[in-house]
Order: sequence, then C-alpha cells, then structure tokens
Amino acid sequence: MSLPYKLQNHVCRFCSFYKLGDEKIPANLMTAVSEKPDLTDFPYPLPSKKKDYTCYAKTGDIEWYGASNGLTRYDKNAQREEDIVMYFSADRDLLDNNVKAILPDGDNVWVLTETGAAYIEMRSISMEEKADILLDESVKYVSRRWMFAQKRLTEGRNLDSILPYGSSDNDGSFTSGFSIGEILRYATYKKEKGIDHPDTVKAKYIATKAVEACLLLLHISCRGDGFVARSYHTPDEPVPDDGLFFRINNGKAYVVETTSSKEKNIVGYEIDASAPVPERLAKLYTDLGFTIDGIVYKADTSSDEITHHFLNMYFAHEYLACDDPELDELIIMSAKGLMNHIIDNGYELHDFTGEPTTWAKWSEPYFHTEFGWVDGALNTAELLMYHLVTMKITGEKGKWLESYNYLVNECGYADVCQTHFDRLYQASISMNFDYPEDIMYGDHMLATLSFWGLCLLEIDEKLLEKYRKGFKAWRSSMAREHNPGYDLPYFISCPDEKPDLDKLAGWFYRTNASRLAAGVSLIGRHDVPVRTLRLGKKEISVQLPPDETFIAKYDRDPVEYKNEDSGGIMCVENCYVYTFAYWVGRFYGFFE
Amino acid sequence: MNNKLHIVSNAHLDPIWLWRWQEGCGEVLQTFRSAVDRLKEYKGLVFTCSSASYYKWVEEIDPELFEEIRKLVKKGRWVPVNGWWVQPDCNMPSAESFARQALYSQLYYYEKFGEICKTGYNVDSFGHNAMMPQLLNKGGMRCYVMMRPGMHENPEIPENLFWWDSPDGSRVLTYRIPECYCVNGKNGIDHELQNLRERVENTGHGMMFFFGVGNHGGGPTKGDLDYLLELKENGYEELEYSSPDEYFAEMCADKELNLPVWNDELQHHASGCYSATSMVKQLNRKAEYWLANAEKWNTVCGKITNLPKATEEFGKAWQEVCFNQFHDIFCGCSIMEAYDDVRDSMGYAMKIAANEENKAMLKIAGMVNTWLDGVTDAVATNARHHCRNLKFPRPVIVFNPNSFDVETNVRTYHPSRKVENADGKDVIFQNVRSSRSNDSHKDTVFRAKVPAMGYATYWLWHEDSEYCEDLSDNKSDVSAEELTIENKYLKVVFDDKTGGIKNLVSKEDSTEYVGGEFCIPTVIDNSEPDTWAHNIFKFDKEIAKMELKSMEVVECGAARAVMRVKHIYNGSYLNQDFILDSESKHLRVKCRILWQEPLTILKMPVTVDGENPVSTYEIPAGYIKRPCNGEEEPALTWGDITAGNGNRKGVALISDAKYSYDCPNNTLKLTMLRNCIFADHYSDRPAADFSYTDEGLHRFEYAIYPHKGEAENSGVQRISALINSKPVAIPVGYHKGDLPQNKSFVKANKDNVRLDAFKFCEDGSGDVVMRFCETDGKYVKAAIVCDIAEAGFYSDFNPFEIKTFRINAEGYVTETNFLEGIVND
Repeated sequence: MSLPYKLQNHVCRFCSFYKLGDEKIPANLMTAVSEKPDLTDFPYPLPSKKKDYTCYAKTGDIEWYGASNGLTRYDKNAQREEDIVMYFSADRDLLDNNVKAILPDGDNVWVLTETGAAYIEMRSISMEEKADILLDESVKYVSRRWMFAQKRLTEGRNLDSILPYGSSDNDGSFTSGFSIGEILRYATYKKEKGIDHPDTVKAKYIATKAVEACLLLLHISCRGDGFVARSYHTPDEPVPDDGLFFRINNGKAYVVETTSSKEKNIVGYEIDASAPVPERLAKLYTDLGFTIDGIVYKADTSSDEITHHFLNMYFAHEYLACDDPELDELIIMSAKGLMNHIIDNGYELHDFTGEPTTWAKWSEPYFHTEFGWVDGALNTAELLMYHLVTMKITGEKGKWLESYNYLVNECGYADVCQTHFDRLYQASISMNFDYPEDIMYGDHMLATLSFWGLCLLEIDEKLLEKYRKGFKAWRSSMAREHNPGYDLPYFISCPDEKPDLDKLAGWFYRTNASRLAAGVSLIGRHDVPVRTLRLGKKEISVQLPPDETFIAKYDRDPVEYKNEDSGGIMCVENCYVYTFAYWVGRFYGFFE
Repeated sequence: MNNKLHIVSNAHLDPIWLWRWQEGCGEVLQTFRSAVDRLKEYKGLVFTCSSASYYKWVEEIDPELFEEIRKLVKKGRWVPVNGWWVQPDCNMPSAESFARQALYSQLYYYEKFGEICKTGYNVDSFGHNAMMPQLLNKGGMRCYVMMRPGMHENPEIPENLFWWDSPDGSRVLTYRIPECYCVNGKNGIDHELQNLRERVENTGHGMMFFFGVGNHGGGPTKGDLDYLLELKENGYEELEYSSPDEYFAEMCADKELNLPVWNDELQHHASGCYSATSMVKQLNRKAEYWLANAEKWNTVCGKITNLPKATEEFGKAWQEVCFNQFHDIFCGCSIMEAYDDVRDSMGYAMKIAANEENKAMLKIAGMVNTWLDGVTDAVATNARHHCRNLKFPRPVIVFNPNSFDVETNVRTYHPSRKVENADGKDVIFQNVRSSRSNDSHKDTVFRAKVPAMGYATYWLWHEDSEYCEDLSDNKSDVSAEELTIENKYLKVVFDDKTGGIKNLVSKEDSTEYVGGEFCIPTVIDNSEPDTWAHNIFKFDKEIAKMELKSMEVVECGAARAVMRVKHIYNGSYLNQDFILDSESKHLRVKCRILWQEPLTILKMPVTVDGENPVSTYEIPAGYIKRPCNGEEEPALTWGDITAGNGNRKGVALISDAKYSYDCPNNTLKLTMLRNCIFADHYSDRPAADFSYTDEGLHRFEYAIYPHKGEAENSGVQRISALINSKPVAIPVGYHKGDLPQNKSFVKANKDNVRLDAFKFCEDGSGDVVMRFCETDGKYVKAAIVCDIAEAGFYSDFNPFEIKTFRINAEGYVTETNFLEGIVND
C-alpha cells in the first residue's frame, strides 16, 4: 500500500433528541404506519433478531429497520464492508431502543421511540473536519485551564448542563496526550500551510497552552525538587475526596482533609512550598485572578504522568518550542528538574514523606517485588525513555548518559523491557486467568509512548533492536485494539512491520464527531458473539466500529461486553483519542 | 535457584505397535493395576498417565479398578494428562481432528474426574506441527511435554523449557524431555539424574525426571522406587514425587524464569512416517472429511426436520478415528496385523458417516419441491425404474458441504441427453465411461454450481428420452488432441517419450508453469531406511523413471477432457487419468497403481523455474513455509512450490490421500507410496518373506494447480476442498416440498474462513456448535449467516485462528473453545 493513504469524506452520525410532545417532532412521524420488514434471506448479520423488527423506511437506496431494541441502517452499496449494516441504539443515538416508527427526511431520519424522538443526521465530513469539531468541543466544554480530562454533566446528553469543574487523577497524562496531538497538528500545518497561516497560528496557540498546562504541573507543588503534581485546583473548585492533596499557603503546603489523609493521620501535615512557579506558567491561574496561595495540588503521582510528560516535552521541544525560545527554556528546566529528582531518589518519585509514591517506581529492587515483577517490562522502558528525552532536550550527556549506561549495562534494563508478554503470560498460567483478563489497557499508551520515544531517539543499533523487540512484546495485546493511536507509533518505530492503513482508516471514519458520553446497547446485540474468560470477564468476538461501542480514553478493553462509556453516561470526554491518532497519522505521512 | 527434580512416574503405553490393540488393552489394565498398587505402597508417590481411551477401557472392563483410580485422582496421587484420546501423531491429523481429540477426552475427564487435563503430553510423537500451541490452548491446555525431535535431530529448538508460540497468537509453556520418557533400572536412573542435575545447574530452574517402564506399559517398579528413596537419602535431596501439572505450576510461580521463545514447528524425527503404510493415511483423510461433512448435514437436517440428532453416533465414530491417529498407528510403523484392525475400525467410523449423511441428505431432498405435473403418469407408462423416466427430467440434488459456493463437475450413474439447472437453463454435461459393464456403460458428468453449505437441484433428461430436444450448444471450452488437453484457462501438453507434462500454460497470460521435471513418476531406493526412516531425512536416491507404456485421450466432451497415461516399472504399473474439467484452473489426476517393488518409494515431481523458490505446505489450521532443501516434509492436503523474481508463479500438488513431500530446489515431489517392511526398526532383516506396507493396489486422486503469486494467496485451500470435500449428487424423486430448489444453510462471507464443524452441542441442549478456521494467515472480520439456527454474527479472526461458536435456540451466540462451553478450563 502506497503512502500516504487518502482519507475520504465519510458519513458521520449526528443525533438530536426530542421528548414526546415536543413541537419540533413532525406530526407525520407520530402517525406513521409501521410495517414489518421482510428480512427473509437478509444476507448479513443483523443487530436485532429478525422477529424483533417492527418497522422500516427508505432514504434513497438505504433502508432503515426499526426493532424493539434499536435501529438498523442497511446500505447495500456501501463501499466499506463495515458500513453496510449500521446499528443505532440508546442512549447515545436514541432516547430508548423501542423503535415505533421511522420517517425519512432526505438522507436523514426521524425515529420515534417509546419516550420520544431522535433526529439522526448522516452528514458526510472529512476526517480533518471531524478533528476540528472534536477539538472545538473539547476546548469549549472539557478544558479546565487548558487541562483536558473530562467534564461531568448534570443532565445526560446535555452539554449545557456541564459542571464547571472536573479534574482527573491523570490530568497530566490526558493533557499531554492531547498536547502531542496538537503539537503535531501545528507542525503539520506549518509544513503544509506556512507558519503565518491563520490555521497554523491557531494550532500553535492551542498547542502552546496545552504544553504550558502540562509544564505547570511540574512546578505547581512549589517544592522545587522536580516533583510533579497529578493535578491542581483553584480555590473556587471543590477538592475531590480521592487521594492526597496539599493546599499551598505562604510558602508552605498542608495536607488537605480527605478520607485518605485521615486514614493515614496526616491531615494538616506541613511541607515546604516556597519555590516559585515560573511566571509564564503561573499566568494560567493568575490571569483568572488567583495566586499560588489557596491552590490545591494532588500528589502521590504515578509513573503514568511522568511518562506522558516526558514524551510531551520531547515533542514540544522538537516541534513547538523551536519557534518559542522562552518555552524551550521552560521545557529544558522542567525536564532537568524532573530527571534529577528521579535519579537522585534512586529511580523513584518521592512524595513528601521521602518515600516513593505508590506507582512511580523504576528502581531495580522494586522489580523484584510482586507488583514490580509484572511492571518491570514497562517501567524499565519508561525510565530509559526519560533519559533519552532529557539528553535530547538539554543537549547534555553527563549525568544522564552515565545513569542511562548504568541502567543498560549494569541493571539490564534494555533486556527486561522485552519481557512484557512473557511475564504477563506466565502470571496468567500461574494464577489461572486468561491473559487478556489482566491486560492493563491504560498501559498500552504508556508502552507506546515509552517505546516510541526509545525508537525515535536511540541511535545504537543493538539497543534499538532491543527496544523494537520490547515494543513488539506488547503487540499481541495492543493489536487487539486496532487503534491508530497505538498502531501508528508502532509502525513508525518498527519499520519492518506493515500497517493496514485501510483498516485504520475505518477507525477514523467511524469515530463519532462528539465525545459526549451516553452509552450504547451492546449487551443483547444479536450479531455479536460473547465469550467468557476464566475469571468471568466477558468480551465480544468482534471489534465494533467506535460509533457502535462505548466511549473511552486510551484506557479500556475495546471488546469489553459493556454498555457504559468510561466516564459514565453523564460526561463529555477529551477528544485526544481521535486528535492524537489523526495528527500522528498526518504528520508522519500515513494519511492525507 | 530452584534445583528441584520432579519425579514423574509414568508408563508409556502404546496400545498398538508391535502388537494388536487387544494386547494393548490388556497392557493398560495391568499397568493401571500395578500403578495403583505402587501408589498404595509408596507414600506421596504420584502417577501420571495420558489418553482418555485407556481410562475408558479400564472403566468398561474393570470398574472396581477405575473407582480406585478416581479416588486417587481426587487426592492428587494420580494425574491424568493430555486431554486427548491418545498420544496422536502431531503432524497429520486435521485441525478438526485435534478439536475432537480434545472434545471427547476432556469431556470424559470432566465427567469422570471433575476436572480437565491442564497439560498436553505427547512424549513419543514424531514431530509437532507449528499450530500445536493453539490446538492445545483451545482444548484447555496451556503447558506441554514433548520429546521428539531430540537435540541430535534438531539442536535449534530450545532445550528443556521454553515458550512455544503459534502464529494465531497462542502460547504453551513447553518442556522438552532431554533424553527419555521411560527411564528405568539403576544405570538408567543414575545417568538421567546426572544429566538433569547439570541441566538444573545450567538453566537455574527445576527439571522433570520421567521414569517408569514403558512402551509396552509397566510403570514404576518397586526396585526403582526403592532405589530412588535411597538416592534421596544419599545426595539427591532435590528429588520430589511430582507431576507435570505440579512442575509447570512451580515454574510459572518462579519470578526468575527467563525462557527462550520458539515460534516454529518441532521437526524432524521420523520422516518416513509421513508416508509409511498408505492405507492408514488414506483412511484417515477420508474419515476426517466424511465425518465432518456428514455431521454438518445431520445438523442441518436436525434443525429443519425431526431427524434425530446423531451426536452420540458421531462421537463413537470420531473416537475410532482419534484412536487410529495414535502415533504408531497413523505413522504406519505398527505390525501388519494391526492395520487389519485399523481398517475395520475406520470402516465402522465411515459407515456411521455414510448412514447419517445419507439419511440427512435424503430427508432434506425430500423437502425440496421437485414436483412436475403429470409425472406420475409418465412413471407408470415408461419407466423400467425411476432413473429411466423418459418423459420427464430426473431431479438430482447436489449437496455442497463447504462454506463457500462451488462450481465443479459432479457425476451420476446414468447417461443423459440434456441437463438443466433449477432455472431451466442448459448445463454443460458429458456422458462418460462408467465403471460398470452392465447397461449403457455410461455415467453423466455435469457442471454444477452449488451454494455454500447448501444444495442445488439439477434436471437430467435420460439419454434415451425422445421428449427433450438435444442441447443446441453442449459445447464448452474443452478440447483435446493427440498429446494435448485444454480448456479456456489451461493448455496441457504431454511428452510422448516420458509421459510427463511438457507444457502447462495459463491461457490468460501465456505463463508456462513447467520448469523442468513434471509428472514423470520416479522410483526411489528405500532399502536403507527403516519404517520410520530414523536418522534419514531425505529420500533422494533415484533408481529409475517409470517407463511410459501408453498414452491416449480417452475422453473429450463438453464437461471435460481426459488423457490416460500408463507407466510401468518391473512388475508394477501406474495408470493416471489427467482430467481437465471445463472452466477449471486445476488438473485432476486419478491414479491407479499396482505396486510390487520392495523397499522403494514412488514420487511424483513438478518443477517451476525461477529464483527464490519457496515451498509451502498445509498444516492443521494453516500453512507453513519451509526451505527447499530436499528434506521429506509432512503436510495435510497440499504442498506447493513457488518461484521467480517479480512475477512469481507456483504449482500446488493437492491430494486426497497423501501426507508427504520433498522439495529439492525448484522441484516439489509428492510421495505417492513408500513400500517398506512393516515395523522394521533397524533390525538385521534376516532372510524372510516380509510383508510390505504399500504392496498392492492403490487408488487415489491428486491435483495440479498452477497459480500466480504465493500459495497462500492462490486459493489453494478452496481447490483442496474440491478434491477432499466434494459435493455429493443424490438422485431424488418427484415430490412437493417447502424448500426451494437451491438453498444455502450456512454462509461465511470470507473465502479464507472455512467451516470445519457444524454440529449439535455434546451436552444435549440442542444448541448448535459451529467451528471456523482462518486459512490464509490474515486478520479478517467475517460475517456468518445461518438462518436455520436463527443466527447471524460477526467475528474477528487472527491469522490461522480457529473459533468455535455455540448458538442457542434464540440464535444468540457465545464463543467457546473445543469444549463447547460445557466445562470451564
């Protein structure tokens, strides 16, 4: 297959909803006569049982079948196989699944169900337009001082009911992922449209803000020792009761009262917080009228955050800060501070106690513990990647190279990082589970970023070969996802592997143009086999198009037999699952 | 360092080898009795034994002993391993056979002992195909014990303990027994323990010590057990009674374990076993396909009529087939008398297939609307019997057991004047010479198009009928001259000196596929190898080419042209009918061989010219590529040679009975027979009147399939199905019915997703089980529709992945494994 693959315009579903009695519902929908479709010898599997179909309609050559558990669209002329039969279900596409009548409206349909009506518009858009729509939604609804995780709603499917706050344990990770996508968007536009084009300027602005938001988390604790916060809150935001938080005041930080801090009996514990936040980064909250006093940050930071931050800093340094020297200085300073912290603390991220945080350990002794043994393959790769990124960003070797060589030559990290599948599979036999049951789907992005970084930056052929092997050790579980966000960095890193771009194109085509969560009706679908794994987890035997399954970040089993979106049914998610993948694909020339 | 030596006391039991099965059965009973006694005498001793069929024998013949064993299993003192019916040959059974090995055995173990076997265990099998990890995993086993080939035969395969991956993504933790699975006697024990100690030192992990008298049974002796206790007291503290299950559990709990990964097949040990004793190979192939297809029709019929489910009958039949896949049986290295038993046993299995297939097909056919107004009068006045109804055409229903539409020639046993399809359109046909001398001497061959896993109705006017007009244009693309047969796709020119093929040309693009020696039967010296061909991996000592005796075009009509070529060698002959069907892209060859040459091999070569030759072979659930180095290789239904830079081209040889090939450079050779002494294990062969494995008459079919590109992209699997899984034509009566004249019952929308099983679930629930296999080595999403089960579903397949689905009465589908969701792993 020749590169780049040309992504075409593709129909995308846009749904709007009306409760019974709403005057916008056409009267003839309410009076439409339902006639059972003749589905004898229908040549494809159908999402509902044939006998459950109750009504049908045609829009041109396309047929729509309504059933007691959802709506089916049949386009026998569809160019792509996965588009021939599409399924629409509650709550994302319909108010409920009991379809009573269908009324064609051009290429679109009105669908009457038990509790109301849905208008389903099938609009043909380009994949870049989709990226723009999703970005606009995230900037408007998800952004929290340019951090991007998700936001809660008070009313399902209603963006206007959004709560103004909404943090995440992984604000740093999710924002970094978003940021990398936007940096590559900027780099793509710069190459294609020129640096002064309005689109380029806008892209630069958004990417810069996201990078600043990430860098701020590397300084917001004011500890001055490179410690990274998971997240932070301004005084007007509630502090969630889900971990360890510090409130900063007058050069000190105090442990906030939460269930966790009470259990540990550390409420009010005081630590130093006198290091200044760089002014440019502080503007993210000072421009809103806040000062550092009263800011609450979340600690007990995990390796997930650190890994995302490092690769984000690499891309920011390489493709964004080249046009922004001041930002580059901040990146260099931040990377040095964090790398020094990790090395000086024996390859651990140390919390206020001087002890490692729960999940940020890369030291050799940790890998001999029960959890560490399984984590070893990933965490060794992470730590090696941090070193290469720091050397690249700072242009220095010295301490970084000395440490890197120690890890490679004395500790065998470049070998351990190849053992992911072996260790996981061994554990699955030992503990009698099916290995997919213990795949940590969130680890896929961590492995992707780590090995991608290693393969981009390592120049020693022998080590590079080891890192490629390490990346391949993740392939059997990552390949389950067919997600371009993992696949494209993999193919960049392992050029001997051949991508199926047509398949990946289908993923872009069938991702919704909104991250508004509501859930789908996967359970009970008649055309999807279900399998039960040893420990009882249920999976489906086929990966469905993204618009027919739940919404998730880079953190979920895509064939899990579940209806609910990751954030529940009342939330709007960050767009970076799409935008990260799309702009990686564009920037590296896979797609146009 | 874990230095434990796990004592795995066992008794290798060959139910047939240098003895017949009755003696093997007795040997099992005695060994099991002895093992129970030893377990009572030696505290903590654990006994390990494989093969569900042995347990079934004991249960039937000595229920008291069986009850004792059940109790020991519950206590963990007796450990059943290998959830298969026997320790089969691991190269030649089909994927479906391996599925049945697991299905019947694991369900048996589950019923009798409350759990299934966790460990696969084929310690004596003569090589292991590359898909074994998947075949074991899907039968509930994630660890494996094997021994052959040994390090002296293939040192590249990791020693001791390693991860073994198959291309679908499956993996088994594999233990390779270093030297012997049945160590006994003080000297043997001393040697083995020293060897194992060194391995523990080198690897850092524990090892298994397999001991106990074996082959003809026996198990651990009191003398050896006492000696082991003595050793434990005196320097061998690391010895512990154990089992493979316990060993693997301990290994997997070891965080220091760092093992090599192997992702290829495990070959070669006994290369002669792929061809020795042609009879058992042919019976196996025939039984595998017939049983699978008959069960498909039983299931279809069971869903649409009141035909009783024959699940139990099929179980009995498959158990016979599974038993005969035991490595010393299927590999052709047992005594001659044992093969008389095998023939009977396979005959029993195939009779069940024949009965059930016939019942189902006639029942389905009876529901097809074949009524013609006035037909009863015609029968009354004109017919001597039904097939000679002259006033009306005779309905013939053709059943296709494959999950894809086929178009192929089929045969009925009466001559015709005209053939029409269900739409009343003329169909190409030809009256051909029948095998009988009675009556007209003629049969009809006609070109049928039959939907996937379905049937099509054709209407045949009898040759003597005056009520139909002659087919105005029963002409086709087929033609023949003195040395040539051709159709629209292929032109085949024979050499009048050698009787081989001189030219095989694709008429679409003028590609010549003959690149050297092609279909010239070659006799190879086989005097050196024993039956197994131990330590001999190439059969390349050519004695002679068979001499061309005659060559003639014996048929040329609309449906096909046939060139008959006869070769002779000493007192033996080979008759080949090269059959080129209309619109066919492959050439079929029906062979009849009378062979009387001791210690010889007969090979059939095809040669393709070009650089970078690659040979490809079908293995269970997929294919494998191997170097063109002339070593004898096992394969299922086809082997292929492809060569050339840029425009690559290849020729596949497909057969309905054979399993062995070699491929030196650009020449692929099908091993048609191998005539060695029965069970000849490097004896000194004293002067005697030996019996030979392949002496006598052989009838089988092979096909030559030229293609562009690599084998896996050529559609060779579908051609193989046309040779091994042929549509069946059934003459039927005139009747009214609810079914249309053409119908498909199961359809997969991807050619590389093959239906291997369509059956009722073993638990009697009435649920239907479908098993599919991806055959081209590609990721694919398939849509599968089966209206009679009210089911339609999608599934992703990894390359070569076998998937089993269970469909309930409402048409909802669960994905299971070979065990049909009846037991949990």
